[in-house]
Amino acid sequence: MHLKVKAKNLSYKINEKKLFQNISFELFSGKAIHIKGDNGSGKTTLLKIICGLTNQVKGELEKKLDKRICFLGHKNALKQYLTVEENLFVLDIINHPDLNKHLIEFGLNKSLDINLSSLSFGQQKKIALLRVFLNDSDLILLDEPCVGLDNKTQKYLCKFLNDELKLGKSILFSSHISLDINSEKLNLSDKI
Amino acid sequence: MNVIKFELLKLRSKSRGWLGPILVFILIMVAFPLTVEISNKDLDQSFFAVLWIAILLVMMLSTEDIFLEDFNDGSLEQFAISNISLPYIIAAKIFIYWLLIGVPISIIGSLFCLGLTNSANLAINILPILLITSYIFINVFSFGNALSLNKGSALGTLVTLPLLLPLMIVLGKTVISINLNLNYLGFVALLLGILSTIILLIPLIISYIIRAHLE
Repeated sequence: MHLKVKAKNLSYKINEKKLFQNISFELFSGKAIHIKGDNGSGKTTLLKIICGLTNQVKGELEKKLDKRICFLGHKNALKQYLTVEENLFVLDIINHPDLNKHLIEFGLNKSLDINLSSLSFGQQKKIALLRVFLNDSDLILLDEPCVGLDNKTQKYLCKFLNDELKLGKSILFSSHISLDINSEKLNLSDKI
Repeated sequence: MNVIKFELLKLRSKSRGWLGPILVFILIMVAFPLTVEISNKDLDQSFFAVLWIAILLVMMLSTEDIFLEDFNDGSLEQFAISNISLPYIIAAKIFIYWLLIGVPISIIGSLFCLGLTNSANLAINILPILLITSYIFINVFSFGNALSLNKGSALGTLVTLPLLLPLMIVLGKTVISINLNLNYLGFVALLLGILSTIILLIPLIISYIIRAHLE
């Protein structure tokens, strides 16, 4: 097992209000951490700190990654005016050999020429999730990945993430609901 | 190269983003001789002032949502954590905007110059100046838009407008030199110098501004 992320006494405040204080954890390859906490406890901020989008933070953060981080936040990074196929092209996964398998599982294989704006929120979320399913990274960060997903897709996502853990990838995810993923818990509500 | 392909695909599908500014430019240039009742000679003299101001306004208009859409849908977050450097992505975006808006406007501007001044020499000489100028404008306004990215206002662009006033003076002097058959290559070299500095610095500065907005 290799250490991928090490956080020591991370503290973050916004407009003089402390969001969280002294968060420490170690994430090894093949392990997952489930970030829990009330609304506004800093789950998204912590994920953004880890992927390098937020830097104004106290404490030490060490990352030992060989590849880029795969991050799926609240925003899907999809273009509403493009078709599903064009969005897959923009995501640079259109030629991935496993794409069709996941599209069939999501029931979207016959919707490639449909404009994204015509799809439901859940279907759009599935397209965004393809970035995670076809990722080539050793650290996956997911911010509330199950919002808008049906039970079948949630189970499919959990199975996929458990398989990724077996492949030695590391996962950090925030979720209000319990997911069937082998993970440690990190509760931010206790860290204010 | 992928970034350029993605940007081209996005702008191709969203034609109002580039076709709108071009149409506005044509409308201004067509409306200009129709709205003033002056002799042909006077029209010649005021043509270039209208041309530069029209390009300035259209470039301001065209860069309105150069980063806004990507900021709102989360694409900028993905760019910021990708392996490709953010300044490179920004430079590619600006280049594509110039290619789809700046280049056609420069060619159309040159054609209007030919139509209104009846001087092929002037129209040919003005084309490279228009190309360089439009690229400078688009870079500076992109910087302005990045400043007011999450404010949703044109304030950032307006703040950058005074930065272009010295350039407008240079453009005026260049046209005078061409009209008087003087050597204007010094002005072109000056414009190229400004452009080469700007295309290196602006994407870098914008990348810092965008990272600050994403925090």
